[in-house]
Amino acid sequence: MTQTGDALLADLVGFGRLLRAGGAEVGPGRVADAVRGLEAVGLRDDRDVYFTLRQTLVSHREELELFDRAFASWMRGVGAARLEEQDVKVLASASTRRSGGDEGREGEERQGETSTRGASIVEVLRQKDFALLDEGELEEVARLLSEVGRVRPRRTSRRLRPSARGQRLDVRRLVRRSLRSGGELVELPTRTRKVVPRKLVVLCDVSGSMAPYARALLLFLHATAQAGRVEAFAFGTRLHRLTSDLAARNPDAALAQVSQHVVDWGSGTRIGASLKQFNDEYGRQALSRGAVVVIASDGWERGDPELLGREMARLSRAAYSVVWINPLKGTPGYEPLAQGMRAALPFVDRFLPGHNLDSLEGLAGVLAGIERRHAA
Amino acid sequence: MHATACRIYALAVDLRSVDELENALREVDYLPDRGLATALFLATALEKPVLLEGEAGVGKTEAAKALSRARGARLIRLQCYEGLDVAHAVYEWNYTRQLLHIRAAQEGTVSEQELFGQDFLIRRPLLEAIDADDPVVLLVDEIDRADEEFEAFLLEVLSDFQITIPELGTIRARRRPVVVLTSNRTRELHDALKRRCLFHWIDHPSLEREVEIVKLKVPGVAERLALEAAAFVRELRASDLEKPPGVAETIDWAQALTVLGRQGIDDEVVETTLGSLLKVREDVVALREGRLAALVADAVAVASS
Repeated sequence: MTQTGDALLADLVGFGRLLRAGGAEVGPGRVADAVRGLEAVGLRDDRDVYFTLRQTLVSHREELELFDRAFASWMRGVGAARLEEQDVKVLASASTRRSGGDEGREGEERQGETSTRGASIVEVLRQKDFALLDEGELEEVARLLSEVGRVRPRRTSRRLRPSARGQRLDVRRLVRRSLRSGGELVELPTRTRKVVPRKLVVLCDVSGSMAPYARALLLFLHATAQAGRVEAFAFGTRLHRLTSDLAARNPDAALAQVSQHVVDWGSGTRIGASLKQFNDEYGRQALSRGAVVVIASDGWERGDPELLGREMARLSRAAYSVVWINPLKGTPGYEPLAQGMRAALPFVDRFLPGHNLDSLEGLAGVLAGIERRHAA
Repeated sequence: MHATACRIYALAVDLRSVDELENALREVDYLPDRGLATALFLATALEKPVLLEGEAGVGKTEAAKALSRARGARLIRLQCYEGLDVAHAVYEWNYTRQLLHIRAAQEGTVSEQELFGQDFLIRRPLLEAIDADDPVVLLVDEIDRADEEFEAFLLEVLSDFQITIPELGTIRARRRPVVVLTSNRTRELHDALKRRCLFHWIDHPSLEREVEIVKLKVPGVAERLALEAAAFVRELRASDLEKPPGVAETIDWAQALTVLGRQGIDDEVVETTLGSLLKVREDVVALREGRLAALVADAVAVASS
């Protein structure tokens, strides 16, 4: 280690670049910290070098695996050749983080054109099933969705703000004002609780049977995420966290990123197993506690419906309210006959269609006014 | 903290390498793994806050406490919760005293300066830590529970190590406290705050280390019991539970078994004492109905190998 020490310091910038190529956010300040850190701990012990770099360069648990690979690969290269391009590619594909940036602006030009099409076409679009939309219509819908998604469920915060009709005394103001009147309490300023957005968690089924709706729903998710913090997940056979993918401003760029990560796009559905993964990994971190959880799926379960019921029960215990949107519900005469759907329904507070723009607007309305434990 | 205590604490131990810190932590009965020792060392050496994340019960809070003991520094703890605001985290004016003071004084003789001076200031943890002359470890516990407004405020404090009180002016840290933040990841922290911090993910300890911890924390524990208990808890963590037991649970459980005079574990005693390991009813039920015996057998096998 000691002989390679100088090479190591010199090549640290390259290591930072390697991590960035893998999708980790490594700012220049972090590399400087890593250098200072290595100076402080010394280079005698490989473990210290490893942990120093990890603790200074990485700030997300999700990036640890990426870091380990990069570190192993970099250690092989220290004092010898540069990293092979191959490694970078492996890292890039292994990454689970966004790489940032707003690529893919091609869709924008058409927007001006579509907005002149007139209101009646918009009316038709509102009612049209997502599965029947052509490319141009889908873009128009995307534009309209960006308005719909802004509505959020709300709750009262424990934080207080000054208010004329509040219930709690604002003692700080009271003292200040009474100073003027020599200690007499002339008026009683009060404070009240703030109203803040409630946590919103959205789980979107992107399996084969949902494919026609997935794109529209993801656009809806993207619009919702722009309006504030939303935890978004896609699932098919497994669960994928989308929150960071949806951070890109441009919906098409966001969708491109999402589709890169959701590898089982268009495969079978295991809703129960995916929910279990959600409950195990994120429910345990209390992500769902007090949240409005929206599940978008047609309820076609390939796995065990009993597992689905069990996991729905767990989810509904933690969540403030569970909303299920099912595109099939838009079909006249639809009955929830799918086994999975039947197993899940007892734990669903609101059961809504989600097959067209109109119904997603309905969803936005429901979210804005949701209260606990509605009947399905 | 009392004045005398401050004087003693002013002799903060200077730990110049990861090895030295690791040994110092061991001396105060805390057994860190190398990664944690490195993280705490870097927090001191680089004067950067360190963010500790990990499952509940891996010893995040305990790490900060141990660091303060090992360095002979004063521990100042800020427990976060939803709605935590400046009045509870930084400072507050003592309103009752202020009002009494205004009333007691003759009309018109109280100046604002007098009323908003040090005498009427209640110092909360952040101010206490910034305005300290003695070495301090500031523990910001469960930062993920505080809301985002507070997180943004904390970021500001941790960037400049100064606090502005409108009535008194700006107070700068004369010596920077060592800052340890912990998070259970109930929500994702803001990237800006994460960038400001060193980051360390704490895993559950290895089997060897957990045995070591049990032997250290439970006086009189039988060698075989320590090993089997740690091995069994490890099996539990690997199985599918709502709330896997943390290190504190292992210690409690080994303690209970020692009081019962046990030298090792078997189905029966595990069955009756399961409550000190598992805190969720569903977990207890699932285990009783299912693999309990198999897990015990596995643990005993691991322990004897």
